[in-house]
Amino acid sequence: MSAPAAILTCADLAIGHGEMVIMDRLTLSLAPGKILAIVGPSGCGKSTLMRALGGLDAPLGGRTTLMGVDLNAAEGKERQDILRQTGFLFQGAALFSSLTLRENIEMPMREFLRAPRKEIRQLAEYKLALVGLADAMDKLPSEISGGMAKRAGIARAMALDPAVIFLDEPSAGLDPMSSGRLDDLILRLREAFGTTIVLVSHEIPSILRTADFCVYLDPDTGTMGAYGPPKSFLQAGQPPKVHAFFSQARFD
Amino acid sequence: MSHAPTGSPFARTEVLADGTALVTVGGSWNLDQALPVVVIKGDRAKVVADGLVDFDSALPAWLYANFKNIRQLDLSALPGRLQSLVQMAEKASSENVAGDDHGLLEQFGSWGVESGHSWGRAFEHIGHTAWGFLRMLVGRAKVNWGDFTLQLQTAGVDALPIVALLGFLTGLIMAYVGLIQLRQVGATVYVANLVSLAMTREMGALMTGVIACGRTSTAFASQLGSMNVSQETDALRALGINPVEYLALPRILAVTLMVPLLGVFATFVGVFGGMVVACAGDLSVEQYLTQAVRAITFKSFLVGFIKSVAFGFIAAWAGCYRGSVAKRSALGVGEAATSAAVLGITFIVISDAVFAVIFNLFDL
Repeated sequence: MSAPAAILTCADLAIGHGEMVIMDRLTLSLAPGKILAIVGPSGCGKSTLMRALGGLDAPLGGRTTLMGVDLNAAEGKERQDILRQTGFLFQGAALFSSLTLRENIEMPMREFLRAPRKEIRQLAEYKLALVGLADAMDKLPSEISGGMAKRAGIARAMALDPAVIFLDEPSAGLDPMSSGRLDDLILRLREAFGTTIVLVSHEIPSILRTADFCVYLDPDTGTMGAYGPPKSFLQAGQPPKVHAFFSQARFD
Repeated sequence: MSHAPTGSPFARTEVLADGTALVTVGGSWNLDQALPVVVIKGDRAKVVADGLVDFDSALPAWLYANFKNIRQLDLSALPGRLQSLVQMAEKASSENVAGDDHGLLEQFGSWGVESGHSWGRAFEHIGHTAWGFLRMLVGRAKVNWGDFTLQLQTAGVDALPIVALLGFLTGLIMAYVGLIQLRQVGATVYVANLVSLAMTREMGALMTGVIACGRTSTAFASQLGSMNVSQETDALRALGINPVEYLALPRILAVTLMVPLLGVFATFVGVFGGMVVACAGDLSVEQYLTQAVRAITFKSFLVGFIKSVAFGFIAAWAGCYRGSVAKRSALGVGEAATSAAVLGITFIVISDAVFAVIFNLFDL
């Protein structure tokens, strides 16, 4: 049986800020329905890589494809159609401050779905209930905690049932219970809809529980330090700094 | 068993002998389709799938919306992944306390209580401002004097063109209306008295106060509201600096100082505006100026000046107060700016009426 076509690829990718390259020679591919975790020390370019993979920022070199389409070459409707099938959670949640949580979730639905108003409303309520915010849906982002804003951001990322979801530090700021529930949610999303998930995280236990693959970005070499199933990073034979990063972070 | 054609979602309801509502769902459920309507009677329901082709989150969302209030819900006959998606939303919801629907009376009561709190906060802010002023006089307040000089410029000097234009037009309009009326009794020479007295006692101060509300109050509300959004005021508190003293006091002082000066300027420009119309009609420049100088007494000047000081304070305070209680959102900052202008103008007009009574009592 042939392997399914990769939903997300990058080849010889170089990323950075402005003209400054912070990571290059990045090559990987991810099959549909898989969960990829990007890890590495702070400031090594994890979020920058995720933005490049999601087509938000143009890479400084190399090529990325999403659902078989080169996002940097795609324009107009083709690009919009691909982006519509992705969901993003940003580090600060990036909720629209003048809209309630429900309106934040409804906003992409109103833009892209032809469903009646009532159904959009119940869909938004369901997505908020999934992340445990059923009773906070009429609050403004300024009236909720950082962890709740993160969860609302995840609900918005899931609004259109995207094929690929990018999550930038989803567990940061969450209590252990909420963090565990978020892991469950990620696994169930994948199980129920075959959603592909790319996440940036420092939570090693969470990565070990949810991710199929893990890429470690090494700031010293400016490229991938390791790539493979996260459990393999704890085994002997890995580069010492990768092994040390995982072992130390796991027991912090 | 027959069911709707493949592709459109459907839901059939029947009531079993024991009173349980049996709901059969099938077809293809996706986000872009209109979903069936279902009415469940009783508090027991069982959902089964028949001819369910595929689904996205439209189906679990529909199940969640329609069955969340059913006490005994049996989803065991549904595919496992669908069950888990519904149960996960239900589990997350049940961990939180359910929200209440408020009736009309309760909403009215809440509005009353909130209004009371709002007035309380307003007077509290006035109190903090007064206390900050006293602390400043004894040299204990931390005041941003850089803001003070900046506001002298922006709220004062930069407002000169608009104050000149509106003052000139106010004097001009009053003279025009006055001439028409006074000509009927052959007393056109008194148009100079009318314009001079009105500008000195009333219009110079009032126009400048309204301009200060439009320009300065809204600017202050936006500035302080934005600082609220970005938690800069919290950072000041964390540093042990009182935001009212540091941010509001220099602004209020600067505007309270500049508005009376602008008021005097507006008065003279208004008198000049009246002269343009009067001299284009029946009066000579000399006649107009002689009458104007006779009309402007020290008492009138003092009345206008006292009002200007009060109006300047009100305009600056309204902006600072609304900015400091602005909600932490882009919408909140906009609302703060609007309400600052409304609050400022309302208070200015109310205080003008109060001044009229007081000055009448003291024969000023």
